[in-house]
Amino acid sequence: MTCGAAGLTRPGPWQRAPWQRVATGDDTVAVAERAALGTSARVAVWPPENLGAACAATGDVLAALDLQASRFRPDSELSWLNEAGGGLYMLGDGLAEAVGVALAAARWTGGLTDPTVGAALVSLGYDRDFAAISQGGEPLGIPALAPVPAPGWPLVRLDGPLLRLPPGIRLDLGATAKGLGSDRAARAVMSATGAEGGVLVSLGGDIAVAGTPPRDGWPVAVAEEPDQAVPSQLVRLAAGAVATSSVSCRRWRRGGAVLHHIVDPRTGHPADGPWRTVTVAAATCADANAASTAAIVAGARAQDWLTTAGLPARLTGHDGRVRRLGGWPADDGAPVPVPRGSHVYPGGPR
Amino acid sequence: MDPSSRGAPRRESIRQARRMSNWTAAALIAGTGTAAVALAHQAHQATAAGVAAAVAAPAGGTAGTAGTGTSAAAGPAVAHSVATTTASGVTVTTTTRTVNGKTVVTRVRHAPAGQDD
Repeated sequence: MTCGAAGLTRPGPWQRAPWQRVATGDDTVAVAERAALGTSARVAVWPPENLGAACAATGDVLAALDLQASRFRPDSELSWLNEAGGGLYMLGDGLAEAVGVALAAARWTGGLTDPTVGAALVSLGYDRDFAAISQGGEPLGIPALAPVPAPGWPLVRLDGPLLRLPPGIRLDLGATAKGLGSDRAARAVMSATGAEGGVLVSLGGDIAVAGTPPRDGWPVAVAEEPDQAVPSQLVRLAAGAVATSSVSCRRWRRGGAVLHHIVDPRTGHPADGPWRTVTVAAATCADANAASTAAIVAGARAQDWLTTAGLPARLTGHDGRVRRLGGWPADDGAPVPVPRGSHVYPGGPR
Repeated sequence: MDPSSRGAPRRESIRQARRMSNWTAAALIAGTGTAAVALAHQAHQATAAGVAAAVAAPAGGTAGTAGTGTSAAAGPAVAHSVATTTASGVTVTTTTRTVNGKTVVTRVRHAPAGQDD
């Protein structure tokens, strides 16, 4: 048995970035944002005086998650695991939960998400923080390698903190880790503020809410790209979570082909279905994160899979056509129905 | 002494006792009714609170009935969006041009303000 890399404490570079207040036009809630985990984190709370405690709690959660589950930090517990070459490992509690959620998501989605997709992503060139891939605008005419299908999540065994990882398998928790981070942060904020008021946490656009929401729910914009000037829709979220996956961003070029970060585990190629963006509401953000990724990978079967899963969703095709499923509202400002129960956490929502 | 005059005080006592009994019974009936109404009202309130709590904090297990959760809301009115659900916050514009007969791919990164990579 080998022990993991738990106990390392070197902060990631994004942790130097300060929280910055964001003016929203409402003084009954307070909002702040900062860089985190290669994307941005945003916290909204009421009453506004809880903002300091909320930011501190969220920062702690994200720093811990980065150290546990980042594939891009050489000193993370996950990187250590991926370099160790297979075996039996005793994981720290945080990474054990993250791997458990990823395996549960793989089981729920029938392998449309799969944490063993790490080698496939590396072979496509997604082997460092995405910002580093694109930094400087350098030409990337690297020849494409042969696609590497995921070995398959059933090969990975997790029993409590004990992980059996076959040789050659590299784990990537990208389909669930952001959602897990938002869920953990929302819970940590409510704990830090004595469950007073309510909180919304967004990690790269994957949003979890907890506590008592504003009247009619938290107003959440739905956009297909982060820099979209005018959001596609405004919805209200009173409980649970909402997450979006898209092939429109985190794209790079390799061997003459434009690639993106959502890989079909079955082929090792970037998913190439009819949907460019999928937004899903679920009881937890890890559920929503996994489901939106699975829908992109499912391609033409996405609507059937989402309908069977009973999840409200908004899908945008490459031609701009929008489909709404499971009670996703058509009107601006309407509430999003929130399904009960989690498929990825043991014992329900966390 | 006349037997009929001897019986008058006794009849009066019996009538008085009956009147008292009637008032007692009426009071008991009214009190029981009031208590029943109060208990029923409290039970309704408890059920409504339980439903609201279940909507706000859904129970575990398999997916159940969807709800918006708005019935539990008691927070402030917030008019403006506070967050955007979207794909992860880094976008890249890729352009391809030919320089001295070679294809050069240039990418410009757009990241959220304040991002530190």
